[in-house]
Amino acid sequence: MKRALHAEWTKMRTVAGPLWLLLGTVAATVSLSAVAASLANCTATGCGGDTAKLALVGVYLGQAPVAILGVLVIGGEYGSGMIRTTLAAMPRRTTVLTAKAVALTGSVAVGGTVAVLGAVLAGRLVLPDAGDRALSLSDGPTLRAVFGTVLYLILIGLLSLGVAAAVRDSATGIGVVLGLLYVVPIVSQTISDPGWRRLLEKMAPMTSGLAVQATTDLGSLPIGPWAGLGVTAGWAIATLLVGGLLLRTRDA
Amino acid sequence: MLRRTVGMSSLRTAGAPGIVVAGLRKRYGTALALDGMSFTVRPGVVTGLVGPNGAGKSTTMRVILGLDAVDEGTALIGGKPYRGLRHPLKHVGSLLDAAALHAGRSGRDHLLWLAHSQGLDARRVEQVIEQVGLTPAARRKAGGYSLGMRQRLGIAAALLGDPPIIMLDEPFNGMDPDGIVWMRGFLRSLAAQGRAVLVSSHLMSEVQDTADHLVVVGRGKAIADAGVADLIAAVSGDRVTVRTAAGAHAMRVLVRAGATVAATGRDTITVSGWPADRIATLLSQNAVPFSEVSAHRASLEDVYLELTREAVEFRAATHTEVSR
Repeated sequence: MKRALHAEWTKMRTVAGPLWLLLGTVAATVSLSAVAASLANCTATGCGGDTAKLALVGVYLGQAPVAILGVLVIGGEYGSGMIRTTLAAMPRRTTVLTAKAVALTGSVAVGGTVAVLGAVLAGRLVLPDAGDRALSLSDGPTLRAVFGTVLYLILIGLLSLGVAAAVRDSATGIGVVLGLLYVVPIVSQTISDPGWRRLLEKMAPMTSGLAVQATTDLGSLPIGPWAGLGVTAGWAIATLLVGGLLLRTRDA
Repeated sequence: MLRRTVGMSSLRTAGAPGIVVAGLRKRYGTALALDGMSFTVRPGVVTGLVGPNGAGKSTTMRVILGLDAVDEGTALIGGKPYRGLRHPLKHVGSLLDAAALHAGRSGRDHLLWLAHSQGLDARRVEQVIEQVGLTPAARRKAGGYSLGMRQRLGIAAALLGDPPIIMLDEPFNGMDPDGIVWMRGFLRSLAAQGRAVLVSSHLMSEVQDTADHLVVVGRGKAIADAGVADLIAAVSGDRVTVRTAAGAHAMRVLVRAGATVAATGRDTITVSGWPADRIATLLSQNAVPFSEVSAHRASLEDVYLELTREAVEFRAATHTEVSR
């Protein structure tokens, strides 16, 4: 396992793609959050809603490069045929997928932390004093929102890795993951029955997972912050299990 | 050149050294890809795996590497299945597809991750880069490599673990003449160091000067498994070619003496079942002029065509005659 992890980490750091994608996550997250903060309607008492959620809204966009990175970690090897070199060097396939997952987790944890802290800093700079107070990391719910958003990005990366291991193609993998993330919330807006809409928002990986960003009015959420992130984790675990099982049983 | 004693580590392990493939059977849907493929690859010998495209060469190699599963049969490396090897690149070095690289990663970094997967370090990477003559290009992105450079990089990867077994799928494909000469010498030197070398090709001419032993495959099984000299002798038969301007006269003399004779060209006849010296003596005694009496020697190309005639699955409809 140690050697497989060393190999996968060497792969990750010796091409330019992962670094650029993570920089993309930082840029997209910080800039969208800054724009959202500058449009907020703030008064002396507050910014008319959930300030932490507002400042972290950038991950809606910032998660896309993470998803692409997760897909490319294994999908790129299927595209070139290098997966056979990988599996000839490391015949234990579960170990290979685990090593890829760990290397991905480490990379996204670093990139995601920079992105999320950058978004908070942007919020503090752009929002007036009222927002400044709400965005303190010493505030329990805000810290949970920040930490939970980094975890959310890691889970999206892992979900993408699992999907790509199953579909064995980068373009298909990216399509499936982005569809899963962005199409479900759009579809849920067209559902008129509130019960069904709530259920869909509880089940979808993005709408449930981003409940972890909420710091006010928790009672009105379709699902609690940690429970919501748990749903996203369930998605990641399920796709990794399916992808891992298919990787073990199929010809390479 | 390698200064270390090669391959000793796994030759010492229990079980037969080299590769033993026994009774592989594999079905893709309705197509039978492997139909009882069996052969052995021995140390110190270059074994050529030859056969038409689609005969099962690449599938067999993927099975040996544990990449593809089979319905029946076993492929063992020094007595063990590949998937049970702890550091497989120290047992078998292989090159299946030289293009299977990340275009944005340098050749050196490609070897580096492979080395790390086996617990080897960057020093070993530098050694194999030098060994295959890739030093000037090693730090450039592999996407810009020519096919010949990719083949060299693939060979370097196969040598990384200093394995007693080397397996290459179509290593001559796309190589320029210089590269082919280099590859031949290289394969010979690997075998001379005591390694088992398995090389596949769909062109007999590519392996005839390199291989000592041939496994000819067709329709998913080995249809011949013998030394190069034995194979040629088997197909040549005991025919003798006589070149003479007096063909009719020569045939009359030979038939009267009891030989089986056929006119095979404007000035050549073929005699079966008689040694060349007896024919020459008989013709001289009867004053038949001739310019040549020689034992027919088949080329490996003939052997290949003879053996695979039945096994070629897709032959163009217009291609009815094979010129010799």
